[in-house]
Amino acid sequence: MNNIVVVNVLRFVGLVLLQGLVFKNIGVGWESFPYLHIIVFPLFILLLPLRTPKTLVIFLSFLIGISVDFLYDTLGVHASAAVFTGFARSLVLKMFEPRGAYNMSYSPTIARMGLGWFVQYVAILMFAHVFFYCSVEAFTFVYIVDIMIKTIVSFLASMVFIMIFQLLFNPLD
Amino acid sequence: MFNLVQLLIKLSGFLVFVLLEVICFSLVVRYNGNQEKVYTNTVNQFTGWLQKKSASTYQYFQLYDENRRLAKENARLLDRLANVGINVQNPLDTAWADTLQPKYSFLEAQVIKNSINEHHNYLVLDKGSKDGVTAHSGVVSDDGVVGIVRKVSKNYSVAMSVLHRQAIVNARVRHKNYFGPMTWKSKDIHIFNLDNIPKDAPVTKGDTIETSGYSTMFPPGILLGVVDKMWMDPGSNFFTIEVRSFAKMSNIQHAYIVRNIFKVEQEQLEESVITEDE
Repeated sequence: MNNIVVVNVLRFVGLVLLQGLVFKNIGVGWESFPYLHIIVFPLFILLLPLRTPKTLVIFLSFLIGISVDFLYDTLGVHASAAVFTGFARSLVLKMFEPRGAYNMSYSPTIARMGLGWFVQYVAILMFAHVFFYCSVEAFTFVYIVDIMIKTIVSFLASMVFIMIFQLLFNPLD
Repeated sequence: MFNLVQLLIKLSGFLVFVLLEVICFSLVVRYNGNQEKVYTNTVNQFTGWLQKKSASTYQYFQLYDENRRLAKENARLLDRLANVGINVQNPLDTAWADTLQPKYSFLEAQVIKNSINEHHNYLVLDKGSKDGVTAHSGVVSDDGVVGIVRKVSKNYSVAMSVLHRQAIVNARVRHKNYFGPMTWKSKDIHIFNLDNIPKDAPVTKGDTIETSGYSTMFPPGILLGVVDKMWMDPGSNFFTIEVRSFAKMSNIQHAYIVRNIFKVEQEQLEESVITEDE
């Protein structure tokens, strides 16, 4: 129990710092190609234990989103996308529920759920997150084509990094 | 109650989601320049549209008052029309062309000089003989009789104000048809005297006094004032009536000169009868 909490707290801090100090500079520094944001911090939301209550997931999503916002100096933009992802998580989990229900003591990781399941799960939520983020960043659907290009490019880049992390560390919880 | 709590628990995830998104979006538009611009622009467009709609709705609800105002105005104009139309006044067996012809026409004039604190007060108007003004025409304003034209030059005319000791206006009590000359004898510019009202006339305080139309100067029914005080002098067969006037003689700026189109005809006829009798 305590172990899971500690793991998640460390993951929270690690992902916020990684996002805000490393990937922020990659996105911004690459001036010639502004359609790229590498977003990895929602991994924290995705990897929360399955038994975490829905409302707690959403609150924690808000917390990590607003933390990233402080580092990005874009108050509310990441937080709104994170809250959306936190809300969507329970719906996606229900959609991908295996026969015979989840083992509620698990976390949704590759080690627990398998690579195929995990890729689908992460892909859907990350796409939703990145699309929401790009929409809020533009704040108007007048530039829907730009938003879509940005979403697809950023989504693919983010997926690559997330999968590298997961395969590298391959956490149980 | 229990069901409601259950429902709230079931929806709690969604409610928290909505609440946090509202907070996020308010933060977004509060602290991010770009998004703030888009937001204010959109909101301005929407509120502009909304204000336009609400203004037109409000105007719709104003229609009742507007209708009443127009009806009042119509009544006033009809009143005026009835007083002017010769067919209403003299239902004689004359030709149609004549009966449909108006009897009075009004000429708008500016008051360029006016006095109120003499015994004999005069007004100078900026219309003269070149505009068709003749001596002995009446002068009225929006709220009553102002005076009578005495002399006319090419561009100007001088009118004897009603505040002139020799000015006489033929007056009557509205709806009661008792008539008499109204003169100015007091020192108050609002108080006039009405004579020749017999003591059996059912005139009471507050009755409206208007022009009688018996002179050729004024059309009938132009407001003069209301009965302010009335008493009977001993040995007299007539009331002495004090009339409080409506006309604001002290700040008059626009006036209308009344032109009686059949004035000459009427006066010649009257004169011929008088000379015949003599």
